[in-house]
Amino acid sequence: MIIIEDVHFSYDGLYTALRGVSLQIDDGESLAIMGTNGAGKTTLVKHFNGLLRPQSGRVILNGADTKDFSIAEIAREVGLVMQNPDHQLFLDTVEKEIVFGLKNLGFTEEEATERCSRTITSLGLEGLAQRSPFALSGGERKRVALASVLATEPRVVVLDEPTIGQDACQKQRLAEMLESLNERGRTVVVVTHDIEFVIEHLPRTVAMANGTIVADGQTNKVLSNDEILECCSLTPPQLTQAARSLHEEFPTFPERLTLLSEVESEVLRILGGENSVIP
Amino acid sequence: MSIVLATISLLFMEMLVLLVILALLFPILAASKSLRRWSNSMKSLSVLLGFIIIFNTLLSTATNPFNYSVSLALRLVALMTSFSLFFLTVHPDELSQALIQMRVRFEFAFAMSMAMRYVPTLAQEAYAIMDAQKARGVELDKGSLLKRIRNIIPIIVPLIIVSIRRALSIAESMESRGFGASDTRTYMEKLAFRRKDWMVVVLSLIALLTSIYIRLYVPIPNLSLPF
Repeated sequence: MIIIEDVHFSYDGLYTALRGVSLQIDDGESLAIMGTNGAGKTTLVKHFNGLLRPQSGRVILNGADTKDFSIAEIAREVGLVMQNPDHQLFLDTVEKEIVFGLKNLGFTEEEATERCSRTITSLGLEGLAQRSPFALSGGERKRVALASVLATEPRVVVLDEPTIGQDACQKQRLAEMLESLNERGRTVVVVTHDIEFVIEHLPRTVAMANGTIVADGQTNKVLSNDEILECCSLTPPQLTQAARSLHEEFPTFPERLTLLSEVESEVLRILGGENSVIP
Repeated sequence: MSIVLATISLLFMEMLVLLVILALLFPILAASKSLRRWSNSMKSLSVLLGFIIIFNTLLSTATNPFNYSVSLALRLVALMTSFSLFFLTVHPDELSQALIQMRVRFEFAFAMSMAMRYVPTLAQEAYAIMDAQKARGVELDKGSLLKRIRNIIPIIVPLIIVSIRRALSIAESMESRGFGASDTRTYMEKLAFRRKDWMVVVLSLIALLTSIYIRLYVPIPNLSLPF
């Protein structure tokens, strides 16, 4: 469990990135952090593993204040994947790159190899295991960076913009992997602008703007609220827009819907019941 | 001029001369209001200076090792000061403009000012990389000296790769914005040589020639420390 208590942070004392952020993330939750560029999302998640220390306020991880621990100690509990994969890849094959993180955290040789091959399969990196990370495309490098942290299966997984440069198929793979981690009780935190990804895969959303949290709650509630969307400079998801147009035509159609399944059943209802699916 | 001073400090080993050069440099630094930045850079240099003094004293074969190493350190300070005088007072754009007017091809002058422009970016990048590696459990500030040295690899390799990648993408983006499209460029500002500048040049040349003469023909009193 991570508890953030009224955390303030400013870079160089000039630019204030966080102005009093409080947040509680329970074990086994999976949530999205969304918000404008420069809202403080990355600054906030860097507090989760101690890369940044709060200038005032506290960060409590599993009941202990993070200020008493080194980053390497926290890294066992909280795995953070940064935005730019090039900042962490340095070995000559993808496989070594993934094993490196595992060994750092004290896994045995066998366990490391085992976990490595499992992660490679679940992220679809099979053909690339012996290639050099530097010869891969941007999206592939991004996945290698993700794999190197996901393989360690920390209790809290924090991903900063994991879907950048990923095609729909890879996004789906990533989502499946996050879901399986989540099912095994791991906490998943995703910083992203990818509204469709959030709606489909992350039940809770924290919206940030200007270094504060402006909304925190169920994803479909948060993301169907126009004020919040505007505040975070997000456009309403396509499904919400579609629901609105349908609402204008059919007043019985609910105006705010974000989930595909909800829209589906409502459309079916309007068309005349579950059974009248047009062949 | 700073180049002349630097050359002079390379010519001489004697402490007296080096002290004279430093004494000349300080008023100039003060006049350009860069004393504080200079002292900051000297702070970071002081570790190296300490090493020079200690190792040379222990290992040198000169007759008076301590004396010798102190003058070596002084020489480095003089050298660094004369160069930092140049880089603290000349804006990179002015430098490239000057080079262009000296008929250096624009591409080379531009490369030079780009190189200077990207030093801070590189530093930022290095911090970001250190963060990313720490998040993977690399302990940068723990362990034996050997382990710490080995820990540099996860930092330095990405740094080089990122720099190369950036260089390539900058080159591509510059070309796509038409870099080098026309042969004759026009400039917003032109630098002109005034009388004052000529005086500095002449004075520097005289100083250089005199010091070469002194070096070759005049014996200099050897100022040695009393131990």
